[in-house]
Amino acid sequence: MPVAVTVENVFKRFRVRRNRPITLQESLHQWLRGHYAKSEVVWALRDVSFAVELGQVLGIIGHNGAGKSTLLRLLCGLGMPTSGTISRHYAVSGILELGGGFHPDLTGRQNLKTVGMLNGLAKAEVQERERHIIAFAELEKFIDQPVKTYSSGMYLRLAFAAAMEFETAVLIIDEVLAVGDERFQKKCLDRIARFRNAGNTLIITSHSTEQVQALCDQVLVLEEGQVVFQSDPQNAISFYHDLMQQRTDRRIAELGGESEPVPMITKQGARHGTQEASICSLHMYDKDGWVTHRVHSGDTLVIDIEIHMKPHLKDVALTLGIFTEAEVKCVESAIPSLQTALGFSAERYGVRCEIKALLLHAGNYFVNVGLYPTDWAYRYDFHWQMYPLVIEGQHDIGGIYTTGVLSVETQWTLKE
Amino acid sequence: MTHSLELIWHLIKRDFHLRYTGSALGVLWSVLVPLFHLSVLVFTFRNMVPVGIEDYPAFVYSALLPWTWFSSSLSSAGYLFFSHRDLVRRPLFSPWMLVVMNTASYLLTFMLSLPLLQLLLILYGRPIYWNVGALLLLMAIQAMLTTGLGFIIACWNVFYRDIAQLVSLLLSFLFFLTPIFYRPVSGGWYRELLTRHPMAFLIAGYRAVLFDGKAPGMDMLITSAFFSIAVCWLGYFIYRRLLPDVIDAL
Repeated sequence: MPVAVTVENVFKRFRVRRNRPITLQESLHQWLRGHYAKSEVVWALRDVSFAVELGQVLGIIGHNGAGKSTLLRLLCGLGMPTSGTISRHYAVSGILELGGGFHPDLTGRQNLKTVGMLNGLAKAEVQERERHIIAFAELEKFIDQPVKTYSSGMYLRLAFAAAMEFETAVLIIDEVLAVGDERFQKKCLDRIARFRNAGNTLIITSHSTEQVQALCDQVLVLEEGQVVFQSDPQNAISFYHDLMQQRTDRRIAELGGESEPVPMITKQGARHGTQEASICSLHMYDKDGWVTHRVHSGDTLVIDIEIHMKPHLKDVALTLGIFTEAEVKCVESAIPSLQTALGFSAERYGVRCEIKALLLHAGNYFVNVGLYPTDWAYRYDFHWQMYPLVIEGQHDIGGIYTTGVLSVETQWTLKE
Repeated sequence: MTHSLELIWHLIKRDFHLRYTGSALGVLWSVLVPLFHLSVLVFTFRNMVPVGIEDYPAFVYSALLPWTWFSSSLSSAGYLFFSHRDLVRRPLFSPWMLVVMNTASYLLTFMLSLPLLQLLLILYGRPIYWNVGALLLLMAIQAMLTTGLGFIIACWNVFYRDIAQLVSLLLSFLFFLTPIFYRPVSGGWYRELLTRHPMAFLIAGYRAVLFDGKAPGMDMLITSAFFSIAVCWLGYFIYRRLLPDVIDAL
């Protein structure tokens, strides 16, 4: 396949000025007094090289501040690398930031016209495709309203639909698929599959490792501006998780003695994290409110998590999942911000999760729970296989054995 | 090429739309503002401090229109990249188009007012057959000058917001150094020094064509043409140099 974009030894340096002079007077003043604004040099990208072929989907993962967005902007041709070269062999467009790309005072339709023309289409062609875009974005009612009145979900829908319809050979999407409801996300993923089957190239970043795994052919892991790993999604994602582990260890070392000793004795499983926020306890109750770790298949399960946050923390992210003994994920809830989602704060005691009908097959499971900073950069506290959960139920009914994860009703009869 | 032109035309319409949405009079404002400016000048220099020039409103108007094109383009150049941030941050867009769009957009309002000038001349009983070739030449020179300066102002103002302030100061100063509401007077070294700038040359040319129905002075025209080409080249050069930093800073 022909190469769509080549990146060779790209470095990018930003000067972050503390006391950046904003006016001439300030900089003149500093110049006259003989000392300049102290500028800190930040290397956002260091010696990044890779190539993407046509028809490929490349994922870029890395924690916040690893250089993902800088890299994507350079790929789009916004700004120049400090050294190194980026060759774009085909037209590149992108959805880089929610809120950019459309003029807030113009209506959706007016913005579409501008964007279409920027993509090299004549006015008539733009009008032709406008209908498809509006239909895909499901914005028929709002298309003649100024974009500033749109919700972030509506905005994303318009941006995504436009990018797909005004197809360029290479499309770059930064993290935006995280917005929008699940149904629309599904629609987007289907559309992306079609986009790619048509021989186009996609470069995406995502916090959702599942999305990356499902979409990408190849994944780059960025860490502090460097490509530290490049491979198929499976290996890259596990590398990324190891990286998170290392970062947590580093953070523990940094915190040193400051972190008060939390009893880390565990009866089983393992516990890992900086303990800046910690899970003090996790209790499971059945439908009658009795503490238990045995629930009948299909019954209600209530999980109470007691959380303690250090006073300097404002917010935490949480994951709660049920896994089989072989570490197959049956279900997991991720809450990127307990504060926004539930109004949780340091004064609060904990959170409760109620699972209405636990349709898991009878067997042994574990509840894994984790607390993270809101950028998911490392772990505050992660409890792995510390809480066993036994689902009770029948394995065999009349000589028919069912296995697996899901509990479903099966009825076997003779075919007439 | 044709696509670029189509795109710039679209951007001009977009610019007009953004400038005048929500105002009851809309595009009329672009004609009304110079007219109001004109009436203030005419009242001042005919009734308060008479300068004694015949057909004074038409005399002032013929120079005020090109000046308004020049000064409004340069005053809005400073915030060009900020107010069209959505475009500057788009991968397939070349920001130079905004500077060209800015010049062209105010050129359009200039041309919208030209029929009014002719009307004024007819009212004073002296219809003028404009030398269209000379007029187009003057407009081309001024467009280059404005675009070149526009590049410099638009780029520098991203880093130093003082530039836009400074430009509006300089413009109000230059307004008085340009023979808009008076006839150029010679004599005195400082007069020679201060009034020999390309905008003064251009305004004198416009007045010759639009008000006196004569050909513009050739030497002035050539000087300002060379100067404008140089400024345009310099502006584009600065733009090319600064563009990556401009995008990083926005």
